[in-house]
Amino acid sequence: MRELIELLRDGHARTTKLLAIELKTSEEDVKRQIEYLTNIGVIKKVDMSCGCGGSCGSSGGSGGSCAGSSGSGSCNSCSSCLPDGGFKNMGEMYEVV
Amino acid sequence: MSQATIALLGQPNSGKSTLFNALTGLRQHVGNWPGKTVEKKEGSFSYKGMECAVADLPGSYSLTANSDEEIITRDFIASGKADVVCILADSSQLERSLFMTADYAGITVPSFLVLNMADVAKDQGKTIDVAAIEKKLGIPVLLFSATEGKKYEPYYEIMERAVREKTVLDTSSIEEEYKKIEGYEELKALIPDDLVRGFSSTWLAVKALENDKLVMNQLKEKLDPVVYKNVCAICEKSSGAIATGSAKFKWIDEVLDGAVTAKNTQVSLSKLDKIFMSRTWGKPAVVLTVLLGLILSFIPALPLMLVGNGVLALKGPVLGLLASAGCPEIVLDAIGTVIFQSFSYIFKMLGFVFGVTLVFGLLEEVGVMARISYVFDNTMGKLGLQGKSVMPFLVSFGCTMGGAAGSRVIDNWGQKVLTIALAWAVPCGAAWSVIPMLSAVFFGPGAVLVIVAILFTMILHMYITAKIFGRKLVKTGDRYGMIMELPPYHKPKWGALLRYVFARTADTFKRVSSVVILVCGIFWILSYSFTPGSSPILYTIGQAIEPVTRVFGLGWQLFIAFVASSVGKEGAIGVISALFTGESFSGAFNAAMSGAARAANLSEILLANVSKPEALAFIFALTFNMPCVVALAATYQETSSVKWTARIALYYTATALLLSMIVYHIGLLIW
Repeated sequence: MRELIELLRDGHARTTKLLAIELKTSEEDVKRQIEYLTNIGVIKKVDMSCGCGGSCGSSGGSGGSCAGSSGSGSCNSCSSCLPDGGFKNMGEMYEVV
Repeated sequence: MSQATIALLGQPNSGKSTLFNALTGLRQHVGNWPGKTVEKKEGSFSYKGMECAVADLPGSYSLTANSDEEIITRDFIASGKADVVCILADSSQLERSLFMTADYAGITVPSFLVLNMADVAKDQGKTIDVAAIEKKLGIPVLLFSATEGKKYEPYYEIMERAVREKTVLDTSSIEEEYKKIEGYEELKALIPDDLVRGFSSTWLAVKALENDKLVMNQLKEKLDPVVYKNVCAICEKSSGAIATGSAKFKWIDEVLDGAVTAKNTQVSLSKLDKIFMSRTWGKPAVVLTVLLGLILSFIPALPLMLVGNGVLALKGPVLGLLASAGCPEIVLDAIGTVIFQSFSYIFKMLGFVFGVTLVFGLLEEVGVMARISYVFDNTMGKLGLQGKSVMPFLVSFGCTMGGAAGSRVIDNWGQKVLTIALAWAVPCGAAWSVIPMLSAVFFGPGAVLVIVAILFTMILHMYITAKIFGRKLVKTGDRYGMIMELPPYHKPKWGALLRYVFARTADTFKRVSSVVILVCGIFWILSYSFTPGSSPILYTIGQAIEPVTRVFGLGWQLFIAFVASSVGKEGAIGVISALFTGESFSGAFNAAMSGAARAANLSEILLANVSKPEALAFIFALTFNMPCVVALAATYQETSSVKWTARIALYYTATALLLSMIVYHIGLLIW
C-alpha cells in the first residue's frame, strides 16, 4: 500500500488498471487496497452527487441546493443544471486526503 | 436441550441478511441497538435438538472502531454472548472479503467461516479448495450459497461442529506477518494476553498500532501508566494502519495461494482506452472529441431555432390584430420589440443550450467524460486543481451556472473558487450562439479561425487566471494523483438523458426569459424618443463615453452592447442591432433583440458601421466578459463569498476590455 501512495506522489492520475500494471499486481489487489485506504481515511472517494446526495432531481429531494435556482433553492431544481444525482457515469474517483 | 448463540459477522453485501432470514424464518425480531440508530436483528432456530439464537451483527468493513456499526459488533463479541461467530466472506472476491477474517484473527471467541455466494464464484470460473483454506485457518470453512434455501444442511453441520469443538482461528501465520512490522513484538510484549476478555494480545497490539481509540482507552485504563506511555511511544513511531493492513493482505494471499484458481485475467486496456490513456495521443483525442461534440451540438439546436422563427412570424398578425383593436402605438411597439423579438431570440438560444447539454450529457452517459477528466488531471494539476475540475468546465460550455453548481464535486474551498473562476473563461451556450454568427458576418470563412483563436485564448486565459488567483486560493504542497476506476463504455439510457436535457432547457427558458425581457425592456425605454425631435438618453450617454470606449477599440454602441452582455450575452445582438440602425432610435429598437432572424439585415448594418478590427475586438470582449447575472448569483451561492464573487466579476470585466484592446490593435496591423 505504501507503494501505491508513493506512486501517486508524482501527481499523475491513474486508473486502477494502470496502477495494477505499474505495481505488477492484479486489479483486484489494487481495489482492495483502495477500499482499505478509504476505510482508514488515507484516501477518500469523490462525491459525484455535487452535494445533492444522489437525490438530486427527484421530487422531494432535500439534500442540497441548486445554484441559480429560483425560489427556495431546493434540490428539485438541480435537474436543470446537473444530471440527476450529479455525475453518475464518471466511475469512481479517489483522492489522497 | 443444548443451546448456542451464533453471531453473524461480515462486511456489507456479504449475504448476512439472506442467511439470517433463511435460518430464522419468522422467528426473528427487529429493533435498535441500545442508544444507537443501528438496526438490531435477532432470531432463533433449532437444529437436532439444539436451540440456536442468532444475532445479525451490523455490516462493517473491519473491526476497527471507526463507526457505530463496528463498535456494536466488537462490543457484542466482547460481551461473551456469542458462543460462536459465523464469519461471512464473498467467494467471488475473496482477496477483498477475507479482510474481516484477517481482522478477526486474534479474537478468541470460537468461529467458523462461510464462503458465501459460491454460485457467483462458480460462474466466474473460480474453483475453491475449501479443505486447503480450512487447514490454514484452523476453523471450519464452508463453501455455500445462502440464496439456495434448500441446501442448508452443510451449514447446520459446520455450525454444530464449530460450537462443539470451539474452534479458534489460527493466528500463527498472520503473526509472522505482524512480526515484520516495526515495534509490533515490543508492543505485544507489553500487553498481557488476558487483559481484555475475548481479545488476545496479538489483536490488541495490532489495533493499538492502528490507533484504535477504544483499544487505546482500554490500554490506558488497564495498563500501568509507564507501560501505557511506552505503548504510545511505540505506536507513534510505527507506520500504523498501512503496515498492519499490508500484513493482513499478505496473509490473505498466503491463505488463498494454491487454494483458489481462477481464469487468468490479464490486466489490459480496451482499444479506445489505449488511445485515451496514451500520454501522447490522449490529449489530442480528447480535444478532438470535445470539438466534435461542439460542432455536433448545432444539429439538435436546429428544431428550436425554427420555433424561434415561428414566434417571429406571429408578430405581424398579432400586432395587426391589436392595432385594429385600437391599441396605442407605444404599446404595440413595446409588445413587438420586448415580447415577440425577445422570445424569438430566446428560443434560438435555447436550441444551443439543448444541443450542448445533449451532446455533453451523452458523452457522460457513454463513459467518455470520465476519460476526459482522467486525461486532463495532470493539466489541472498544473493549474493547482484536481482532474475532476474538468467536469464543471465542460458543463460550462452549456451554461456557466451549471459549471458553478458542478464545482460541488470539489471539497477544498480554494480549489472550488478557482474552478468557478476558471469556468467563467469557458464560453457558454449563449456565447456560442452569438460568436459564430458575428464571426461569419465579418470574416466569412475566416470565422473558423476566429473560433479557434477564441479557444486558444480561453486556454491562455484560464492559465493566467489560475496563476493570478491560484496564489491566494490554492496552497502549494505535495500533490497526489487521483485514482480513477473508469466506468466501462456502455449504451446511453436515452430516457434519463432526454429527461435531463429537457428539464435543463425548460429551466434555462424560465431563467433566461426574465433576463432577456428585462434587458430588452430597459434598452427599449432608453432608446425610445418620447419627445419628438429629442435624442434618446442612450444616445446622449453614448456620445459622452465614446472617447473612453475607443481606447478598447469599441465605439459607444458596441460598448453598450458589451455592458448589456454582462447581464446576459443573449441581449448583446439585440442591442447592437438597435443602436446601429440608421433610422430613428425608436424604430431602430423594433429591430433589436431579433438576433439571427434579422441576420441578413443586421449583416449589412454592421458591415457598414463597424470595421473588422472593431468587430474582432467586440467578439473577444463579449466572449470573455462575465457570463451573465445568473452565473454571478450562482458563483456567490457556491463560494459564499461576496469578496471573491466581486473580485472574479471585476477581473473578467477588466480582462475582457484588455483583450478587446489587444485584439483591436492586432486587427489594425492586419487590416
